[in-house]
Amino acid sequence: MSVRARRITLDEWDRRYVELRAAGLCEPSYGGPLRRHAAAGDRRLGKLRMDNSAAALRLWNFLLTEEQRLHQARARGCRLLGTIKDLGTIPVMAYALEDVVAFYPDGAWWLPCLMENQTGLLEIADAMGVDESFCPVRAMLGAFVRRAHFPIPDLLTCSVGATCDDVSAIAQRLADLGHAILWWEVPHRRRPEPGEEAVELPGGFQAPACQVAFVRAELERVREVLQAWSGQRLTDDRLRAGIRQANRVRELLRELRRLGYGADPCPLPALEMLVAEMLAIHFCSDQQEAIGVLTVLLDEVRARAAAGQGVLPSRAVRVFWVNPVADLRVMNLLEDVGGRVCGTEYLFCHALDAIPENRPPLEALARCALADPMVGSPVDRAERICREASDFGARAVVISRIPGASHCALEGLVIGDIVRRRLGLPTVEIEVPPITDALEPSLRTRLEALVETATAAP
Amino acid sequence: MVTVAYGSPFVPVEWLAAHGLQPLWLRPPPRRSDPEADFVAECADRDERRRLRDLASLVSTRRGVCPLAAALVDAACCAPELSAVVLTTSCDQMRYVASLLEQQPGMPVFVMNVPSTWQTEAARSLYLAELQRLSRFLVARGGTSPSLAELTRVMVQFDRARAELRQARNRLSAKAFSAALIEVREGLGGPGRRTGRAGAQDGDSARPAPSGGRSPPEVPLALAGGPLPESDCELFDWIQQAGGQIVLDATEWGERTLPRPFDVARTQRDPLGQLADAYFGAIPDVFRRPHGALYEYLERELASRQVRGLIVRRYLWCDLWHAEVAQLRAWSPVPVLDLDAAGNEESGEGRTRGRIEAFLEMLR
Repeated sequence: MSVRARRITLDEWDRRYVELRAAGLCEPSYGGPLRRHAAAGDRRLGKLRMDNSAAALRLWNFLLTEEQRLHQARARGCRLLGTIKDLGTIPVMAYALEDVVAFYPDGAWWLPCLMENQTGLLEIADAMGVDESFCPVRAMLGAFVRRAHFPIPDLLTCSVGATCDDVSAIAQRLADLGHAILWWEVPHRRRPEPGEEAVELPGGFQAPACQVAFVRAELERVREVLQAWSGQRLTDDRLRAGIRQANRVRELLRELRRLGYGADPCPLPALEMLVAEMLAIHFCSDQQEAIGVLTVLLDEVRARAAAGQGVLPSRAVRVFWVNPVADLRVMNLLEDVGGRVCGTEYLFCHALDAIPENRPPLEALARCALADPMVGSPVDRAERICREASDFGARAVVISRIPGASHCALEGLVIGDIVRRRLGLPTVEIEVPPITDALEPSLRTRLEALVETATAAP
Repeated sequence: MVTVAYGSPFVPVEWLAAHGLQPLWLRPPPRRSDPEADFVAECADRDERRRLRDLASLVSTRRGVCPLAAALVDAACCAPELSAVVLTTSCDQMRYVASLLEQQPGMPVFVMNVPSTWQTEAARSLYLAELQRLSRFLVARGGTSPSLAELTRVMVQFDRARAELRQARNRLSAKAFSAALIEVREGLGGPGRRTGRAGAQDGDSARPAPSGGRSPPEVPLALAGGPLPESDCELFDWIQQAGGQIVLDATEWGERTLPRPFDVARTQRDPLGQLADAYFGAIPDVFRRPHGALYEYLERELASRQVRGLIVRRYLWCDLWHAEVAQLRAWSPVPVLDLDAAGNEESGEGRTRGRIEAFLEMLR
């Protein structure tokens, strides 16, 4: 930490990069100026305000070079596993194998935003009958057809059951196109009935023991397929080692969240926090490097918090954010109107919880899969949101809808109602498409109104 | 008698009936000319019901909500005599509807897990376990756990009714057959009231005689897609008036989702296992992964009934059927017409009828 922490534009990053290099910045192989990503097509960077630290530079470079990393992995002879609709379970198994790289094809949902709709991916999906009434994850379908982004994985897994219909339907279309998919089932998580054996899940939810056993059996089926596919034995010892590594990532993220959301002034912008949290799902295709990136980022946040430095004015209105945004720019917008993110539930809070290391590994992973907030009732999810919003001292809640996403149609009604009743906090529901430029005035007005309401509240 | 509403063909009606309960197929309420007046007149607990009505209204106006899901919230909220509601996980929005209804006081809701995968013994076992869990729920609501003999008796009764209905299919109009299918899912007054077993076939229910002379023959069509409630069954009339005839109702509430006929010996030996096999193991549907059984069913039935055109009728925001349309077009041996429904067919009548007429002109 050598300069004042602040959010800067891409133009400012050009100068900042030169300064950092002149000061002796050492970068990993994927390092370089952020400008090159914008020049290569990630045009949205030009509309964002990003953190000005070297740690953030590494984070952004790590994120924006994932496709290259996947192509390099294939060139090295690694097997590629695409884990669809899987927020943090199968990747833990995959990274316990050698020469296997797991990634999250659904992550293509951010491509239309990053490339400002220049990818043509949504148009391909449109032409295939998957139009804007679907979640922007439909970009994944276009990415598989175009074959111009991530390399086509050697095997796909997809969790179904209590998952959103958008992804399930789109994954089936991929199967129809000839991509082999291993479907595995995660049942709708229910509360244990009286007298039924209950299991405590990471994050505090409960599930009946029989559901945990069912998912464990499903993961056993996945293990068998992965073993045959990779030609390696995926022993319990290997899985334990994989879980320890995944827990290292999760531990770093929990500490990052504790400081990043807790310290005042806000030590790291919401945008970088969002990108960092996303690493929990699949490690951005390189688990070891993800640990390195997060370690450096956490060091920066610790230093800023200790020095009382922040990227926003002190006492910015603390807002808890629900659901990831299709347009990254909106995270800037909240901060521009006087708010700051003080806690999140980006649909994968379970991927931030520690995986139990005192249980047989597949049972531990089954517990994590069932802790997914999306596989249970939105009432459970709302309760976790209330708990964390309260812990982080939130004064308002934003429920960000993903356009077309089947779960967003009704979940906001349930979550908003419970948050208002339990916490008495002002809540606003907004819808964030991949590019919000045309909607920005109305989004800004809604967020401003929320921040003003929260400020005026006793 | 205690009434249990359900709205998924994956819930065995025999299982509900064998518990001594009255199954009620959960369907959108009829359109009201003066919703408030009708509603308030029906309800004893007006304030509570008004609150539920407000909730249903709120749901129906939210962007992205499946019109059927909204209508079922309306139906559940406005049915004063319901003792419980049974929904399934076969559709994402229904899961969320269940959560919404669970939040309402005095509304016992059972969410039955119906696995999407179907090729493993574990999935079948989960379904079976869910039937047993449903039984406990029903008993807690006033039902009686059936003996094997009682369950077998009820299963045979419903199986026979469905068999009679299948045999009567060619004598009934598509609209009457659709209504009879709902009846057989409820068992009201004995399944098959409209099947013509009693010889009562009015002009509306009988299948139209083959047209001769100057009129061109009707084009045999199949109808596939999500649920087609009675309130939207004018679709059958529009198709008929345009010169088509539905010879296969493969919608979610149509004959596609009738359970497979029971094996008599197995029913006596293991009735619950037979229920699981006939329902979970045999009903092809769009949410199943992989979805191959749906296509096998359509391939077999389109051919055997000499279908010349396939109409896919889906609700707006139903991702499962919506995503399937393009695949169906690519696969289908006959032309495919995609009809989306916004939940208020009156407003879209002109457009829908025009599309049906054009489709049939093309097929002639």
